[in-house]
Amino acid sequence: MSKFIERGWALHLTVLCIVILAEAIGIRRIQIGIGTVIFLPILYAFAVGVMLNPHILKKTAALIPPRAGKLAGTMITIAIMPFIAKFGTTVGPQIGPIIEAGPALVLQEIGNLGTIAIAFPVAVFLLRMGREAIGATYSIDREPNLAIIADRYGLNSPEGAGAMGVYATGTLIGTFVFAIMPPLIHGLGIFDIRALAMSCGVGSGSMLAACTGGLVAVAPGQQELILALAAASNILTYATGLYVGLFVALPLTEWLYGKCRPHDVPQNAR
Amino acid sequence: MKSTQSNTSALENALPIESEDERKTDVVRYSGLLLIAAALGLVANWVGTGTTPAVALPGMVILYALSVAGLVLARYVPFYLPSIAWTSLLAIVVTIPGFPGSAWTLSQVGTLNFLVLATPALAYAGLALTRGEFEIARRSGWKIVIVAICVMFGTYIGSVIIADLVLRLGQ
Repeated sequence: MSKFIERGWALHLTVLCIVILAEAIGIRRIQIGIGTVIFLPILYAFAVGVMLNPHILKKTAALIPPRAGKLAGTMITIAIMPFIAKFGTTVGPQIGPIIEAGPALVLQEIGNLGTIAIAFPVAVFLLRMGREAIGATYSIDREPNLAIIADRYGLNSPEGAGAMGVYATGTLIGTFVFAIMPPLIHGLGIFDIRALAMSCGVGSGSMLAACTGGLVAVAPGQQELILALAAASNILTYATGLYVGLFVALPLTEWLYGKCRPHDVPQNAR
Repeated sequence: MKSTQSNTSALENALPIESEDERKTDVVRYSGLLLIAAALGLVANWVGTGTTPAVALPGMVILYALSVAGLVLARYVPFYLPSIAWTSLLAIVVTIPGFPGSAWTLSQVGTLNFLVLATPALAYAGLALTRGEFEIARRSGWKIVIVAICVMFGTYIGSVIIADLVLRLGQ
């Protein structure tokens, strides 16, 4: 029995139960004044996973010992691979519309700087945050962006604390935010569904899944186009994300911070 | 990006700061774990869409092959691309109209719903959260939650606005 648990089979069985439960509930829609709120099985799966997490629930610590917990981390990257493969197969048949939308696909990567336009003023002026604001707001703070901050300031710095805070929060609620937000923005009726779809690739794999799942739920007739554009933009982000963060977003955020708080100089920037 | 040893915390070890170096991954072990992931995907698809694993199996075999090929390429090609990038590129190539068997490939993977395939990964993600990650979220406080929501909203809406403008200009 203990070997069964140590090798992670209890972990996989737990996941099997969670998956069956989440898929049995299925997609749920709630109409509110400004649009439709979409609840997806991936949200329930994540939420139940957190509830059963061995650091939250002591009872499961016996079923998921530290070694199996580490395996769970590895399994995230492995289990997402068939999803990524399926996603890629949506691009081929739509290659025409994608090439047509090519300039928009490339240029929307610059739109990621929108975080600086919105989150930076909120952090600096409204919440009176210090240098944490730089790490917190320069990007969506997924793994590659976190590596940039770790390299430049170290994670013990204020900038590092800000980046890690947004990283951890994004890990906890990012799937939820990306499932709810795009259908509501779609409900405004202002933006082209192609623009909403190709912006789904800005964050992590689970944000991508949530965003496209939500959009497909409100515009089922355009499923093929939505998936293909989101997949294409996600692939593009692998290629450009790190460089936009390193050479544009971070220098810009630092410069802005310097302008807003001229007397707060970095202690350990390199 | 290895110069940070001097002033980083022990927490760094608990966080996926550097993506795992796929040059060292064990392709055989990962291919075995992928079988578990594929089985979970088939069950998720069965419960979520009603398509039985027997019907969806050929499609899943294709996705499995694309994933393993991604792992192999990431491991052995002399320049580095993450395995998911390789898998994506291969999946695009084999489904472009005119590629041999592309219509058959598409009809087979069509038995699998895309969103359902992400469900097992999210279940693992919930279970895999480390003490360090909970700790950081707790310590950062409510200000960071507000900022994080603004960051996600700003990143998304910024991309949407630029994409929308460029699409309009192109029409």
